Amino acid sequence: MSGGIWTRETVAMLLLACFLPMGASWVWYGGHLSVAFLVLMIVYGWQLLFLLARAQAPSLSGVITAFAVAMLAPEHIGPLRLALGVSFGVVMGELVFGGWGRNVVNPATVSLAFLGFGFPSFEWPAFDVPVAWAAIPAVALGCGLGVMSAGLALGASFVAIGASLLGALDGSVVIAAAIAFVLLVADPATAATTRFGAWAQGGLFVALLTLFHQAWTGAAPVQMAVAASLLTSLAVPLLDEATLAAWVALRRRRHGRT
Amino acid sequence: MTELHSRTGVWHTLTSPLVHQNPVILQILGICSALAVTTSMATALTMSAALTVVLTLAAGLVSIIRGHIPETIRLIVQIVIVASLVIVIDQILQAFFAELSRALSVYVGLITTNCLVLGRTEAFARHNPPLPAMIDAFGNGLGYSLVLIVIGSLRELLGRGELLGFAVLPLADAGGWFTPLSLMLLAPSAFFLLGLLVWAVRTILIEQSEPEEHAPPPRQEVTR
Repeated sequence: MSGGIWTRETVAMLLLACFLPMGASWVWYGGHLSVAFLVLMIVYGWQLLFLLARAQAPSLSGVITAFAVAMLAPEHIGPLRLALGVSFGVVMGELVFGGWGRNVVNPATVSLAFLGFGFPSFEWPAFDVPVAWAAIPAVALGCGLGVMSAGLALGASFVAIGASLLGALDGSVVIAAAIAFVLLVADPATAATTRFGAWAQGGLFVALLTLFHQAWTGAAPVQMAVAASLLTSLAVPLLDEATLAAWVALRRRRHGRT
Repeated sequence: MTELHSRTGVWHTLTSPLVHQNPVILQILGICSALAVTTSMATALTMSAALTVVLTLAAGLVSIIRGHIPETIRLIVQIVIVASLVIVIDQILQAFFAELSRALSVYVGLITTNCLVLGRTEAFARHNPPLPAMIDAFGNGLGYSLVLIVIGSLRELLGRGELLGFAVLPLADAGGWFTPLSLMLLAPSAFFLLGLLVWAVRTILIEQSEPEEHAPPPRQEVTR
């Protein structure tokens, strides 16, 4: 991303293209476009404010955030609460760091976690199976176009297959996990940047999900997926740092002190 | 003329820790207790009062014996003075405000190790006569209290819809419109609120913001 056609906005547009099959199937199976539109207005309201106050360029990634929040937010939560949660996530998760690409956590994850912890009495959404199937073309497109990490997807898939074979994962959890993986975890701005880090991040996401599924009674699948993606995104800098440290140590052992 | 000068000096010592030199939001001192006891206004007020009293008395005592404290054991002496005062305050709270004392749990005892108290006795009271030292300590106690009250009132208002135990916002359970934001009663919300408060203050008083650690690299286009 140093020049030419590969700018931040190119990446955002390609990601949007990857999400289109999932978005289409979500709307087809009864998704509320009005919620998505409301979230979109709030996100771009804040982006406009930061553009005016800090000369921070707005980004198309706001559409991705709006889309993710609209799909995964608790149902019938009402516009005021939604606005509060989205404002918190977008401002504290993304815009204060300097906009998309400089953030450490995904603003959609922060918004959803805020809504989940703040208003625990609202029901989390459940998804129809075809929406989750749309995650496969989304990941395939993303990896093919180079905006998502293949290692991340493979790491998650391997652990998921292993856990399913052992009977530790359930169909409804896998559906929620696939959607949350595409919308929250695979975001290239906050995903791991080293190869091993990406594998470990994917594995950690599914491992946490399995743990929650086994030990967290009374939690909805989407709630577990959101919590797992929040914890994973907090661990990502550590995974990257550990990978780099291991690489430096290996080189030092192989080539001496320089 | 001298009297006028000294009076403005006293006024300045008392008021500058409220906003311009606030110990919590500028120097980030004593935030451990500021985050822990602000779930309601009542605990925040009690903690503020306890800390202000301890801080003022400790500064006065340290300042009175400042010529006799050996340099090598000064921290021990200061901590002994602060700890004795804290024990007295704790006993008074347990005797007369048993419920609040239980709500504050260990945090009254932890005033002993509050860096704000030790910071003021070490940095100011050790070098100044008793009256200015106590005024400075009282001002810092008020600055700490101000932050605690702001955060405590916000958390109680948004988390329960109450202020000091009186219903302010009509709750949805009782037919009103307000749904309590239970996140506000959890510890992370105190971090968010304190961060937002620091951000707001430093946006208005730009001289409080810290210098940037590194300059971002200039923008470059790759030439082919």
